[in-house]
Amino acid sequence: MSLSKRLVSWARQKSPWIILFNSGACNACDIEVLAALTPRFDVERLGILAKGTPRHADILIVTGPVTRKQGKRLRMIYDQMPEPKYVLAMGACGATGGVFKGLYHVLDGVDAVIPPDMYVAGCPPRPDEIIDGIVKILGLIEQDMAHGGKEWRAKRKAVPQPLEVAP
Amino acid sequence: MTYLTSAEVSEAMADIGPVEAIRRNRVQVTTTPGRIRAALRSATSRLQCDHLVQIATIDTGHEFELFYLLTGAHRTVLSIRTLLPRDRPKIRSVHDLLPPAGIYERQIHDLLGITFDGHPNLGRIILNEDWPEGEFPLRKDWKMDPAKSYGGAPEEVR
Repeated sequence: MSLSKRLVSWARQKSPWIILFNSGACNACDIEVLAALTPRFDVERLGILAKGTPRHADILIVTGPVTRKQGKRLRMIYDQMPEPKYVLAMGACGATGGVFKGLYHVLDGVDAVIPPDMYVAGCPPRPDEIIDGIVKILGLIEQDMAHGGKEWRAKRKAVPQPLEVAP
Repeated sequence: MTYLTSAEVSEAMADIGPVEAIRRNRVQVTTTPGRIRAALRSATSRLQCDHLVQIATIDTGHEFELFYLLTGAHRTVLSIRTLLPRDRPKIRSVHDLLPPAGIYERQIHDLLGITFDGHPNLGRIILNEDWPEGEFPLRKDWKMDPAKSYGGAPEEVR
C-alpha cells in the first residue's frame, strides 16, 4: 500500500462513528447499545461516537427484524450514509428475524433490505459483544482497503470442479 | 366514590340489554350493534363513564365480539359487549361520543376489516401503506399467501 492509502486506512479505523437504527426491535438491543455508550463501558474513550444523522456515520447498527413499515426507511437511511459504509446487524432478530420470522408484518432479517457486514449474536447481545463486533468491522475496513473494495468478500457460487478420474 | 353495582347499571341500561356482574369492579352489558350508541350515551351521561379504556375485539370464528371498555371516577370497568356477523361486519362509529374511540376503530378496521359507519378517516394506521386491499391479518381464517406480495420492501429488492 502506498503511504497515502495507509494514511487513509489508519484514519478510517481510528474513530468509527456509529448510528443506531431500530427497525422494529423490542428495545432490548437498543438498551444494550446505550449501555455500551454510557460510562460503564464508555466506548467514546475508544473513539466510537454515536451520531444523530446517517450523513456523519461510518457504521450503521440495525437492531431488530425489519418490519414492512421500516423497510423503505431503513433503505433511505442506508443510502444517505457516505462510502465506505458498514452495517452491523444486531441480535437474533437482525440476523434472521428471530421470534418474529415469517410473521405478516416483517421482512425478516436485515439482509432482506441492506447487506450487513457483521452479525452480532445474542438476544440481546451484551455491550462487550457489540464492541467486539465493531472492532471486527474495523478489521474488515483494513482488509477492504488492502483489497480495494468490498467485492472480495461477496459470496460466490461454488463452481463444480470436474472429478479427477484416475487413469 | 364506590364501585357501580349491577343494580345501578341495570337501571341505567334498562332498554339496552342484559347486565351481569363479572367481578367486583367489572360489569358487562350485552347489546345489539344497533343500540351501541344509545349504550355509550347512557354510560357517559347516567353512569359517569368519562374514559374509554379500549375497544377489544375477538374473532371467535363465527362472529366478531366487540367490547367497549369504559371507566370513570367510580373505578368500575363497564364493558359493553356486542356481536357482529362475520359476513357483514359493520357498526356505527362512536368517535363523536368519545373521541379516543376514533383511533381504536381505525386499528380494528385495519387489522380485522370491521367497517365503522360515520368514521371520518378509516385509513391505514398499523399496516404498511402498500399492504394489499382486503387482507385482514388478525382474522382467524387469514393465511399468508406465499405467492403474493405484501409490500414493505424497497423497490430494488422487491
